[in-house]
Amino acid sequence: MTATRFLDPTVLSRIGSLELLARTVVDGFINGLHHSPYFGLSIDFAEHRPYMPGDDIRRMDWRVFGRTDRFYVKEFEADTNANFSVLFDVSGSMQYGSRGITKLDYGRYLAACLAYFSRRQRDRVGIVTFDDKVLEFVPSSAKHLEIVLHTIARIQAGRRGDIEGPLLKVTESIRRRSILVLISDLYEEPATIMRAVNRLRYTGNDVIVFHILDPAEVEFPFEEAAQFEDLESGDRIPVVPETLRDEYRTLMSQHLETLADRMAQSQIDYSFFDTSQPLDYALFEYLSRRQRLSRVR
Amino acid sequence: MGFTFLAPLFLAGLAALAIPILIHLTHRERRDAIQFPSLMFLRRVPYRTVRRQRIRHWLLFLLRVAAILLVAAAFARPLLERASLGPAVLGTAREVVILLDRSYSMGYGDRWSRAVAAARRAIDGLEHDDRATIVLFSDGAEAANHRSGDGTTLHRVLDRAKLGSGSTQYGPAFQLARDLLEASDLPQREVVLITDFQRVGWEGQQDLRLPEGTVIRPIDLSDPEPANLAVTGVLLDRSPQSGSNRVAVSARVANAATVPVSDLPVVLEIDGQELQRRSVDLPSDGSATVRFGALAVPDRVTPGRVWVEGDRLSQDDAFHFVVAPVRAVPILVLQHPSARSSETLYLRRALSIGYDPPFDIEVKRVTQFVPSDLDERALVILSDAPFPRGAAGQRLRQFVAGGGGLLVVLGRRSGQGAWTADVAGLLGPGPGTVVDRLGGRGGTLSILEYSHPVFAPFSAPRSGDFSATRFFRYRRYEGPPAAAVLARFDDGAIALTEVAAGAGRVMVWTAGLANLWNDLPVQPVFLPFVHEVARHLSGYRQAPPWYTAGQVVDLALDPTAQPWGAPPALEADEEQQELVIETPSGERFMASAGGDRRHLELRGHGFYVIRPMEGTAFERRVVAVNLDYVESDLTPLDPEELVGAVTPRGDGDDRAATLAAALTPAQRERRQGLWWYLLVAVLLLLLAETALATRLSRAAR
Repeated sequence: MTATRFLDPTVLSRIGSLELLARTVVDGFINGLHHSPYFGLSIDFAEHRPYMPGDDIRRMDWRVFGRTDRFYVKEFEADTNANFSVLFDVSGSMQYGSRGITKLDYGRYLAACLAYFSRRQRDRVGIVTFDDKVLEFVPSSAKHLEIVLHTIARIQAGRRGDIEGPLLKVTESIRRRSILVLISDLYEEPATIMRAVNRLRYTGNDVIVFHILDPAEVEFPFEEAAQFEDLESGDRIPVVPETLRDEYRTLMSQHLETLADRMAQSQIDYSFFDTSQPLDYALFEYLSRRQRLSRVR
Repeated sequence: MGFTFLAPLFLAGLAALAIPILIHLTHRERRDAIQFPSLMFLRRVPYRTVRRQRIRHWLLFLLRVAAILLVAAAFARPLLERASLGPAVLGTAREVVILLDRSYSMGYGDRWSRAVAAARRAIDGLEHDDRATIVLFSDGAEAANHRSGDGTTLHRVLDRAKLGSGSTQYGPAFQLARDLLEASDLPQREVVLITDFQRVGWEGQQDLRLPEGTVIRPIDLSDPEPANLAVTGVLLDRSPQSGSNRVAVSARVANAATVPVSDLPVVLEIDGQELQRRSVDLPSDGSATVRFGALAVPDRVTPGRVWVEGDRLSQDDAFHFVVAPVRAVPILVLQHPSARSSETLYLRRALSIGYDPPFDIEVKRVTQFVPSDLDERALVILSDAPFPRGAAGQRLRQFVAGGGGLLVVLGRRSGQGAWTADVAGLLGPGPGTVVDRLGGRGGTLSILEYSHPVFAPFSAPRSGDFSATRFFRYRRYEGPPAAAVLARFDDGAIALTEVAAGAGRVMVWTAGLANLWNDLPVQPVFLPFVHEVARHLSGYRQAPPWYTAGQVVDLALDPTAQPWGAPPALEADEEQQELVIETPSGERFMASAGGDRRHLELRGHGFYVIRPMEGTAFERRVVAVNLDYVESDLTPLDPEELVGAVTPRGDGDDRAATLAAALTPAQRERRQGLWWYLLVAVLLLLLAETALATRLSRAAR
């Protein structure tokens, strides 16, 4: 497996058009698509604000003073090279796939595409893989794209998963504000998930959650009674799908709705995908959300 | 619509219906576990131990149930009741029997060609599933082919069919048609009757109705007013009135027409030469006798015929016969040396006036008898004379064993010494005492064996009365054990015995023939009695001057030859004699005079010539064959009368029920073949089931 196998031209063709769209929206920034969440020096004007003692008088807008006889300071959107990290859940449950592609593979493609695309934005890219602990930690760096891709290629799933512990470690390890993309199937209680994600959010990181599930996990189409084996724990329980399908679907639906609601409340971008959806759809979703966030500034 | 099954035990297979029911009720648990990302939500669902018994995959279930149902039904061999269905299911295949009349009356005009054309039309009208049998009939009937639906085969049969020489008899034809139709398993039956509907061919048989449901389609080839002249018979008169060794020929000529015929020339031909010609006037539907002048009998067998001018039916315009020289039966009468000639007077006179055949009589005293006297002799009569002794007696025994006849007449001189013990096997232990019946009216013959050839001519009423004869004396006699008693007196004493000795026969008459012990010689029955005895013992066979077509002749016997003193049949070394037969149509073929195939059936009319291969002792024979003259009567029968007589009595409305009764359930089931359709349906159902099951299985995975 090569590092570039994820860079499928058919996928990236849609990405290229989105990039053109982003440049049109965020005109003036350095080849960037996304806006820096931090104000600073830049060539892109953001807004005027009243002068406050301590402000650099070089940022005073003398033309406004000439017209209004009041002191205003010009603020520009900072054009920084952001840190971009993928937080990739590689627990055993991610290797499930009912339609030819596993959630892990789907996450691979998604992470690779996002890393490559972010690198084109001249962001610094890194990756963290974890199951019940952090497995790989590649700090964000402008030179780490190849390492990130190699790391993605080497990923093997199979162990029991835990989201709170590893993300706590990540929170402690990331010093600089970053764009963090969490790719996981989120088989945890919503409260636990929100606790872990909010820690990242509260430390100033921009968190995007990609919730990936297989269609069979949502629809539960099984017919024959069988022993169902947990991919992470190996536990087995007898299941007659017909008798509990409706209740399972209800529980799953409630789980997804709860996550979506709580993520929205915490201003965390949350997107749910099943592996039957096109990969570029996920990227489009990501860029659309980034665009929307940039307009909020 | 009634359903029934030929093998209902196979319906037990319906128990297999439990299999799909169980399969579809049972939520079969997969043997291997299904790996699932997380059991987090599954654990939250309460586990139910009681499953709902609900059929899953209704369509698949119904397909499987239907397949099992149809398989069981197919093996049970279903059949539908015929009465409720009619020929639509039973089929319209016909068993057709084409009865084609080939009697010689079909040679009238163009009847035969029209008959063949009608038969061809019937063949061309056969449908795909029809089968036909062509039956050629005249006085007999034969199926010319095995039942076939192949038109080419049937046309070839017609190509080979030829007009016959027999007379019309509808009975055998309908009998054969009935047998063929009854053996058929086809639902429709039809008889195509192609004939000229001669009245003489139908005797009104009551037991010839065809099977139920048979449709009879008559094709009438008769002519409205047929005219036919025929020579129906010839009489060859050899009586003394005809002159010495002469024969007078008379012919019977018939006119089967509504108009009289005058000055019809009638020609007599002998050996191919026209000898005499007469003219005769014939009334309408009448006949007349034509007498020709007496002819000298030739010294060999000579063919002859009487013919009239040809008309539209030429086969009966000539009558064939043969004229053979008559050879007198040589008889030797041996009398006692002391006997007077008057003692054999009545016997000699009776034999001397015979003309059919004439008898050549020689009387000798037994003491003058020498063995050479038996050469070319047919019969020896020991008239109250002792059996010759020594070499003469030995020769006489050989003569009898070789086929000669011996009549021993016991009289007053035939005492105990009449023969010695060496001939006891031939004549018995010896004559007994004389029974004197002078008192009263004498004795009579009370028991006669009328089935014996000697007495057979007297069996009919007023054909001779032996009871009028009075027997005053006769000699007691006990014949050899093998002797058959042909006549007894009223006291039970034997009057006449016969014993077979080798190829010859010996008779013993115990009452004399000299008008001394009885008055038989002056009774009317004496002369025919003596003639019959002499004819029987001499082995005389009258050669028939003609045969009728259809009769059979034995090639090993030549009735015209009279090998006196020798067996009439062929010797062993001659039995395989090869003969050449020449038929009236000029066809020649080989035949054997021995073995089982030595009989020749006479089919054509005219003369058969039977010639031996070169270098053999067999003589050339000529056999005259005539057609049955009854066929000359072309009077037609109303076809409706004939058809009505053989039409089944069943009601046409319930013909389907009749047909149903005619077929066994197995035949009906085989004809309907519903199991085949069921299996095709099963195949389609299984294909659908496979496709659906595959689809569901993929969806489940």
